Amino acid sequence: MASPQVSSDLVWEIVRSNNSFLVKRKASGGVQFSRDPLNLTNKHSRKYAGFVNDKAIGVVPAEKNGVKVLSKKTEAVQQPAKSTTETTYSGGKSARKTYVAVANQTAKNGYRADLRQAAVARASAIRHSYKEPKPTPEPKPRGTKAKKAAE
Amino acid sequence: MSIENLKSFDPFHDAEADEDTSQVKGQQEDYVHIRIQQRNGRKTLTTVQGLPTKFDRKKILTVIKKKFACNGTVVIDSNMGEVIQLQGDQRKVMHHASAPSDNLMAHTVNHQVEPSDFKMASRPTVTIIGKDGTPSGATHPIPTVFASPIRPDIVQQVHTGMAKNKRQPYAVSEKAGHQTSAESWGTGRAVARIPRVSGGGTHRAGQAAFGNMCRSGRMFAPTKIWRKWHIKINQGQKRFATASALAASAVAPLLLARGHQISNVPEVPLVVDSAIFEGGAAAKTANAFAILSAVGASADVIKAKKSKKLRAGKGKMRGRRHRQRRGPLVIYDPEVDGTELVKGTRNLPGVETCPVYALNLLQLAPGGHLGRFIVWTSAAFKALDSIYGTTTTPSELKKDFLLPSNVVSQADLTRLINSSEIQSVLRAPKGGSLTKRAAVQKNPLRNKQVMLRFNPYHSAFVKNELGQQKKEAGKPLKTPESFLKVLKED
Repeated sequence: MASPQVSSDLVWEIVRSNNSFLVKRKASGGVQFSRDPLNLTNKHSRKYAGFVNDKAIGVVPAEKNGVKVLSKKTEAVQQPAKSTTETTYSGGKSARKTYVAVANQTAKNGYRADLRQAAVARASAIRHSYKEPKPTPEPKPRGTKAKKAAE
Repeated sequence: MSIENLKSFDPFHDAEADEDTSQVKGQQEDYVHIRIQQRNGRKTLTTVQGLPTKFDRKKILTVIKKKFACNGTVVIDSNMGEVIQLQGDQRKVMHHASAPSDNLMAHTVNHQVEPSDFKMASRPTVTIIGKDGTPSGATHPIPTVFASPIRPDIVQQVHTGMAKNKRQPYAVSEKAGHQTSAESWGTGRAVARIPRVSGGGTHRAGQAAFGNMCRSGRMFAPTKIWRKWHIKINQGQKRFATASALAASAVAPLLLARGHQISNVPEVPLVVDSAIFEGGAAAKTANAFAILSAVGASADVIKAKKSKKLRAGKGKMRGRRHRQRRGPLVIYDPEVDGTELVKGTRNLPGVETCPVYALNLLQLAPGGHLGRFIVWTSAAFKALDSIYGTTTTPSELKKDFLLPSNVVSQADLTRLINSSEIQSVLRAPKGGSLTKRAAVQKNPLRNKQVMLRFNPYHSAFVKNELGQQKKEAGKPLKTPESFLKVLKED
């Protein structure tokens, strides 16, 4: 943060009721989501509000079935052009190795150990989304239809 | 900033004492020192020290107290002798009072108590962006106004008031609904007593009139042009809100929260060298846009341009046909940068301009939302310190204005909680380092040890194969036929 008077706690109190990433819906008991790319769960909450926190991790899809991990640099908060780093793990890398890399990037060196589980889960979900869905099997005829089909 | 902020330092520590003791000693007879000390927020004390011994301080004090309507005392200090202490900021009046009457040179010293002034070197600076968006090499310390408290409540309240001050009065016609000579028919006609249009020969005759419930009657509480359209806002509050909005414009997360596209912006606050705007370089829209894209502000302009949509509702036909996002606000110094850039940017959607001497909250915090993306020219940025002053030195251009100061110097809760000052007075956490977990339930049918704990006989049972004995004995003998015969005999 620029000065000790402007902490992420203060910023959160200012933006929690209204910000450009916030999605408010009356459905499901007024559930609140976030469109922030640095939000791992897409939930509007203090822990996952990436644009507020000094340290934050984002996991987004990359080309060729890859996974891109965004992270914020604490020393460059005032320099938006270089405040995020991007690391891409290609789709060719095995799932387990990708998850280990994502987990290490999130939790090592005192970065955000609390986000490790969410980061790996998101990376996994992104990898899963690349899979071709299985074709739905032909419905089996039952009852009289089955008898007719057998004849 | 480190935890140092939390450590108490002596705000009334005499800054001069260490540096120029010799000077002070030499001048002690010649100079009367008038100092101001910050006491508590915006409250101050004025001290007058070094009055020649020929004057009776108590008598001077009584005169001063009456003349300037303030309280005060004479404090005896071991080094400085007798010092007159006065409530409030009496520097100017004391300066005038002591100079002509006593023919003494009054020497006003500003005693500032801000931590940033004690450590000038650590005061944050901002790089000035030159042509092509690269740093020009020059830097400028961030003006004190950017350290003002960020108060969305005050900004929102002031914004709501200010937004109402451009309204045009409207009202329905004074005569509407009353342009008929209706009279009540009174009782006994089996109709309501509401006034009815007189006469005959038309459908209108006999119809109810005037009432707000009547067709073509007057509306309820007809609007008047003398409604209270404009809201008076206290000047102190307006200035506070402006300072607050400026401070918020230097916080990148708040810019993101407002929805500005700042991913290519080299630094926040974005200060662009005034040399770029020299000689009407931004007088043409294309040139102005080229400058904005060079400093990374074009993404926000494009976002504003693409956001133009038709307004929903009746506003379309009332001069508010479209709605669109706000882009960057260019703040310039008209004396240095000229006003050509106003014409250059006025056709860029979303881009607004404002001279630094006439900042407007409606532009600094549109919709009452803090964190407008501002492009400063370096001349405008440098002018801020003289326009707003600091928390202790009054502004040069605004009368009686001191910047508001923060209530807390450290707003980072994690840092506060983890500070040694707080940790040292907390009780140690209860319990050991290992948390006791509920025992895992093990299945005695699978786990022999657990089974033995329940049933010590189990080992003998297994060893003697008591469970298998029945099986080994074979099937029970068949019931003899003779017995069945006897059983079924009738």
